[in-house]
Amino acid sequence: MANALFYLMALVSVACALGVVLAKNPIQCVLSLLGCFFALATIYLLAGFQFLAAVQILVYAGAIMVLFLFVIMLLNLGAPGALDKTDAKMFSRPNAFLVVVIAGLLLVMGALAVKKSGVVVAAKEMPEHGIDTVNGLAGEMFGRYLLPFEAVSLLLLATAVAVVVLAKRERGNSRRRKMGGEL
Amino acid sequence: MSVPSEHMLILASILFAVGAAGFFLRRNVIVVLMCIELMLNAANLSFLAASRMHSLKQGALGPALEGPIFAIFVIVIAAVEAAVGLALVIALYRNRQTVNLEEVSDLKD
Repeated sequence: MANALFYLMALVSVACALGVVLAKNPIQCVLSLLGCFFALATIYLLAGFQFLAAVQILVYAGAIMVLFLFVIMLLNLGAPGALDKTDAKMFSRPNAFLVVVIAGLLLVMGALAVKKSGVVVAAKEMPEHGIDTVNGLAGEMFGRYLLPFEAVSLLLLATAVAVVVLAKRERGNSRRRKMGGEL
Repeated sequence: MSVPSEHMLILASILFAVGAAGFFLRRNVIVVLMCIELMLNAANLSFLAASRMHSLKQGALGPALEGPIFAIFVIVIAAVEAAVGLALVIALYRNRQTVNLEEVSDLKD
């Protein structure tokens, strides 16, 4: 039962990923990506990573996807009338064939690496509370990985400032221009 | 008998290949950013598959938590990248009224 669900979700995630690449409308791309994230969260859950599954849904499906949808709606890219022809001839560009070949080679290399490394037989049963218990994760995160944790929090702060600066730039310039005009 | 972790790795490589193909094929900036998210997700999946492989093998001393920790860091970086990337898209659209990458090739010419 769980195995069948895993393969079903793997199929769904690959189909949704193809949907992201092939869909014409950006809104369809976002919805496909959302489906891919939910399928991956189910796979995490089945593999014994409950906390990561929750984080996947909260952060990816909840926050990042809303950001994408927000920008698409802000720029009005999803409107049928405004449907641009940006990617209409995606596969008739000169290098499209090369790209598909390179992607296929990446895939084959990944599969070969997995095959070469040999199958590691799962000898132990899955622990009752899964692999990533919050207790264990917190012990590692605030113990051995405290410095990266602090670095990431600094990065988040810097990003918040950078995003505000990037998104507000135009208004600051126009105000300065207006002030200059008044002077 | 649960699913072997190798199948998770193969799924990760498929998702990465699809994301990379989209990254090179598409010209819409927002879709390109989405393809990057897809590739980061594939990396996450392979981290978790490796962690699972090492947690369940013979003679493992408890769960291998490096995988989930790195996956959490990757998720944070993905959020940061999406925020900065989308802010750049908004700034680009404000200055050029386009999200087509072929129209923004000043550095190439």
